[in-house]
Amino acid sequence: MTGAETQTSFRPNELEVCPDGAGHLLGSRCGSCGAHFFPVREACAGCMGRDLETIRFSTTGTLYTFSIVRQSTPEFEVPYALGYVDFSEGVRIMGQITGCDFEDMRIGMSLALSLEPFGEDDEGNPLTGYRFQPCEVEGD
Amino acid sequence: MTDVHILGVGMTRFGRHPDSDAADLGAEALLEAVADAGIDARAVEAAYCGHVFQGMVTGQRILAEVGLAGLPLTNVENACSSGATAIREASLAIRAGEHDVVAAIGTEHLTSSFKGALTPDPSDPEAAVGATMPGVYAMRARRYMEEFGMTREQLALIPVKNKANAARNPLAHFKTPITIEDVLESRPIADPLNLHDCSPVTDGAAAVIVMSDRALRKYGGDRAVRLAASALRSGSVDVEPVSMTFEPLTWATAQDAYERAGIGPGDVDLAEVHDCFSIAEVLRVEGLGLFEQGSYPAAVERGEADISGRLPINPSGGLIGKGHPLGGTGVAQVVEVVRQLRGEVGDRQIEGARVGVAHCRGGKAVGIEGAACTVQILVR
Repeated sequence: MTGAETQTSFRPNELEVCPDGAGHLLGSRCGSCGAHFFPVREACAGCMGRDLETIRFSTTGTLYTFSIVRQSTPEFEVPYALGYVDFSEGVRIMGQITGCDFEDMRIGMSLALSLEPFGEDDEGNPLTGYRFQPCEVEGD
Repeated sequence: MTDVHILGVGMTRFGRHPDSDAADLGAEALLEAVADAGIDARAVEAAYCGHVFQGMVTGQRILAEVGLAGLPLTNVENACSSGATAIREASLAIRAGEHDVVAAIGTEHLTSSFKGALTPDPSDPEAAVGATMPGVYAMRARRYMEEFGMTREQLALIPVKNKANAARNPLAHFKTPITIEDVLESRPIADPLNLHDCSPVTDGAAAVIVMSDRALRKYGGDRAVRLAASALRSGSVDVEPVSMTFEPLTWATAQDAYERAGIGPGDVDLAEVHDCFSIAEVLRVEGLGLFEQGSYPAAVERGEADISGRLPINPSGGLIGKGHPLGGTGVAQVVEVVRQLRGEVGDRQIEGARVGVAHCRGGKAVGIEGAACTVQILVR
């Protein structure tokens, strides 16, 4: 996929894809109590507040747990690594993990959001989705 | 308010039924439950039918097969808790005083409905990135191993135990005991879970006849078992990430049930729990408060959860050994507990059992720990 092409998010409500190819996962922040949610919610489960704003999550997190999936549905080529990643806003988001040998994966490793080709729409046009890739921890 | 009693139970053989459909299986189970209760089928006033993938009006097709068309019937979908939810709805109809005799049926012809790994609904954000149910439980297993030091061999002892129990259950899907090596060498499904860690794709149905105090006096009930509690909850939204090695949903549902029944986990003589995967049994029994968090794998190793142990878990073989026809599962758990409490299960009998628990849970959606959970407490 070249940079000049417009990329289309595989799920626009959850993944924002910018014209420059960057992107963010989207969720909700409660204006009343500050809780964060993925995906976007209608009301806050913490305080039942309705003043939720849609926010972009940070793009790095920590691997909480993972599995190598070896049997799946036909849309997904196996095997693939699947994990839950904890973000500093206080959300845990599932995604596939790439750029790392299966045997090198560890709970607690740092991962960064990576926008990647992710299937096609009904007309066969390529879609952009997300995975996570190992990254160096910045500062901390 | 009346108590709720189970007088009749029925269950098909679990396994592959290429020549039947979900309605045939449900009808067979219902007729057996009616006969077991010793009542005329026309005494049944209402029915609830739990199923997941069987399509519209499966319950009505069952009633038509057995000649009971005309009753109020409600089809119930609550993922793997569908059948258990049908029992709860039947019990509520009794407690409300609306009916005196109600049938609850659970059925699934799963071999014709799907194959491979079960996933959340395709619209779910986690399904969209490749979530499978084995994958989710595998992640929970890995985290549990990290936090509590459970070994892969300890985890393998759960399918070994459950398939040994199933070998004593003539209605079970699997009849052959297995070894730890069999589990470790079976096909990898989602690391660290292998094929033997997973419940199979099973066809089957089960049914129970529940009734009020008044109906029990009429029909005579020295074989009746009291349904002391039938609790249902749905999963709450995580306001912040919670541990995946403990189940707040199972815990909360169990507390509802213990409170309603007026008993505690220390009173329980046996439990049928939702072991859709080996790790799931660990999370269930600890969530039910039957074993302390982090202690169950070692307890299994000591034989405490065997049929001859301190607190037998899944004496029927569980989902892993008996099989897992989604809608049928929750009703079949109650059938097993009723038969155990009546002393009718032959060489898998738990001597002197008076109090049994059936725990079911099913479904997954993004941001909630589990979708539907039921805990039923039966007392004789």
